[in-house]
Amino acid sequence: MTPEQLLAEADRLLTTVVPGTRGCWPRACAWLIRLSLETALDQYWAQVLPAAASCGMRAQLLLLPAYASSDIAQRARQAWTGLARAAHHHAYDLAPTAAELRGWHETVSQLVADLVVPAV
Amino acid sequence: MDTKDVGAASVETLIFERLADAELSSPVGDLIVGALLSDDDLAAALGPDGYTRPLARSDAASAGKPAGMYLQAVTVEGFRGIGAKASLRLQPGPGLTLVLGRNGSGKSSFAEAAELAVTGDSRRWSKNTAARTGWRNLHAAEASRIIVGLASDGQPGITTVVREWPPGAALEDAAAYVQVPGSPRQPAESLGWAVPLELYRPFLSYSELGTLTEGKPSAMYDALQAILGLDQLIDAERRLGEARKRVEDSSKAARQALPDLLDRLRGYSDERARQAEAALNGRKWDLDAVEALAVGDERPDDTIPGRLQQVAMLELPGREPVAAAVERIAEGEQQVADLAGTPAGEARRLAGLLTTALAHYADHPGLPCPVCKGRLLDESWADSAREEVARLHCKARDADAAHAERDAAVRGLRGLVPAEPAVLSGDLGREVDAAPARAAWQKWAKLAGEATTEELAADAVTRFADLASAVAQVREAASQALQRRSEAWQSAAAFLAGWAELARASQRAAVVLARVKQALTWLRENGQQVRNARLAPFAELSAQVWEMLRQESNVELGPIRLEGSSTHRRVSLDVTVDGIPGAALGVMSQGELHALGLALFLPRATTPDSPFRFLLIDDPVQSMDPAKVDGLARVLAEIASTRQVIVFTHDDRLPEAVRRLQLPATIWEVVRREGSIVELKKSDDPVTCYLDDARALARTSELPEAARAVVVAGFCRSALEAACHETIRARQLAVGVRHAEVERALTDAHTLHQVVALALFEDADRGDQVFSRIREKYGSGAASAFKAAKAGPHEAYRGNLKRFVEDTAALAASLRP
Repeated sequence: MTPEQLLAEADRLLTTVVPGTRGCWPRACAWLIRLSLETALDQYWAQVLPAAASCGMRAQLLLLPAYASSDIAQRARQAWTGLARAAHHHAYDLAPTAAELRGWHETVSQLVADLVVPAV
Repeated sequence: MDTKDVGAASVETLIFERLADAELSSPVGDLIVGALLSDDDLAAALGPDGYTRPLARSDAASAGKPAGMYLQAVTVEGFRGIGAKASLRLQPGPGLTLVLGRNGSGKSSFAEAAELAVTGDSRRWSKNTAARTGWRNLHAAEASRIIVGLASDGQPGITTVVREWPPGAALEDAAAYVQVPGSPRQPAESLGWAVPLELYRPFLSYSELGTLTEGKPSAMYDALQAILGLDQLIDAERRLGEARKRVEDSSKAARQALPDLLDRLRGYSDERARQAEAALNGRKWDLDAVEALAVGDERPDDTIPGRLQQVAMLELPGREPVAAAVERIAEGEQQVADLAGTPAGEARRLAGLLTTALAHYADHPGLPCPVCKGRLLDESWADSAREEVARLHCKARDADAAHAERDAAVRGLRGLVPAEPAVLSGDLGREVDAAPARAAWQKWAKLAGEATTEELAADAVTRFADLASAVAQVREAASQALQRRSEAWQSAAAFLAGWAELARASQRAAVVLARVKQALTWLRENGQQVRNARLAPFAELSAQVWEMLRQESNVELGPIRLEGSSTHRRVSLDVTVDGIPGAALGVMSQGELHALGLALFLPRATTPDSPFRFLLIDDPVQSMDPAKVDGLARVLAEIASTRQVIVFTHDDRLPEAVRRLQLPATIWEVVRREGSIVELKKSDDPVTCYLDDARALARTSELPEAARAVVVAGFCRSALEAACHETIRARQLAVGVRHAEVERALTDAHTLHQVVALALFEDADRGDQVFSRIREKYGSGAASAFKAAKAGPHEAYRGNLKRFVEDTAALAASLRP
């Protein structure tokens, strides 16, 4: 799925009652947004620095300022930190709220657009 | 911990009992009763008309004790964080229910809704206008509604309490009614819950716990009193305190108004002003005199108005009696004149001489007259002499009578006009000149006293006319002077009368003030004893609760006492830190203070007398450390053996403790979508939850295959992580590792490999051995599930999703303790 498709699915979970997702949609939504960010980064590296795609996310985020911009890197890091925490089981943490998810959704949407490499 | 034998008679009953034994005068007792009951009752007890004490209410209230009630459901629509209708369903009976939800998920909205529907007012809102206006859910287009279902112990059916608002209505304008099975709708008040709610209030919110920690010692005292159901005592003391202030002001009002009054009086020349000043001079006012001056019109004789009054009432005989008297004098004078030349004495002497001669003649008849030696005295002489004697006697009598008549007439005239009254020579003020009247009177007196009868007869009528005219003038002048004074005094009198009334009220107030002070002193002393008596069983229970809650805290709690009064009131908590006594509450952390608040709240709400068998606690866990959460979980579970305990909490610490300690509980998770769509999901332990979610999503055809694979893998990974967390925590805590250390180890393990390594080897750094260990110990299905869970959220899993979930479930079961 493309990053945009993943975001569209996430948005659907966030705004409408999707059958079968009662109560569990917030985490599902977080994973979709997270995967959208990961996929967008994969596509970006495939064009810019194919070797980076096989690195861990931490390394990718460190490389990003040098290839994209420090602004993009900072927003990506911020979204990633939140999404990573939400997507793992953490003692005592409950599922993310709709507001948190909406915030990540917006950040990642912008990043997906910013990470598109213009055709030469 | 035994929650069954904490008695709680109402404050009212306790005070009434003490009052019956107290040696207080009846008006003082009335004040205390009035203050306990209401503003109106106190006003009546303070009033002059006497006060009839009503029958004790609390006895009536406890007589018809309602059956124990449990919550069955809270259904909310368009209220606070909840838009579309959502229901929290509860098992009506003892047991622990946790409602779990992030801040803003709408979980607290259920707590608030239940409280508002049952009590009619939410405590946290009564103080917060912002919340009062923001109560309606933004996404609620239609009416807002709260429905609370209650099951009464041993009775069939569900009683529903409904509170609903038409669109646009204010918070206060709710329609509230109650529906008891088999009966028509009744107004909410018909439940008769006002008193038990005040006494046992089964709702406790985080902010209420917070009031214990904020600010002044007196605030803590008040909060504790309220928690202990001693509000009535606070109110009574407040009412009496306010009454004392009012009565005291009233008792001082007359003295405060006095300088102004004296100032005004100084502006009046009327001697009544002087008299009023004299009556008000000195420590004790002569209010009777002041009132007489203000109201009455008394004019004592020795004052100008007194004299003027006398002058105005002077009387003279009319002109006619005077004229008649003068006439009589004139007639008498005429008679006297007619008898002129024969004065009565001469006639009598001559008659005497002839009588003597006749006697001589009788002895010596026929001899010549011995006086003149002339004529012979014979019988013919004797006859004429006898005749002459008789004539002379008659003449003398007539003359006497004429004189007497004239003299009587003169006396009559003199007696007709009184002597000049002394009042005319007294001070009559500047307005009245008595001189002409006095001159006329003196002229008259001179005439009447000294003039001859002729002069009298001639001048009396004229003189009298002069006198009458002068007296009429002075009388008129005096009348007018009196009238003017009276008019001038009116305004002063009105003011004086007003002040006199104030002074009477002040004197009455002074009497009442003494009683109010006495009542207040008595109420404070006895209230203190009631407080501590009331507190004692609670305090004991609180200490037990605290003992369970404190866990690793180094703070020990001794006896709790409420001390002091009015501005010095405070809570005395015998806090010992590390065995060192005398520490202030300030040494306690926020979490400890909250735990303390709970320790104080729980005994009250679990009183056997309470008709509420449920207990709603909103977010007690905030700022508690994990050890205290364990204690809380135990306390709640214990109370839940006899009560329905519903706890709202914003994170998973309390549910985790409940699961780990294997305490029976039902857990609901609340999540809110955009648009205030609130959903409740029964929550088991996290592992089961995640696996259930994974199964549900694997079946969901609504999501595209690729998206489904991503989210299913995510839940599978979380299930494995949760299973490992559970194992790690249980194992470490069992061997005495401190909570904080366990939590740190779990937080430090970021990746699935690290977490599983920690569970398998108790070493997060052995992640590289995890996969092979799983494959050899749990089989290849488990190994591939682990691999898929690890990669799944990053790249869509392409195998059979249902199979993947079941393999994960098997692995998770193996990893759990």
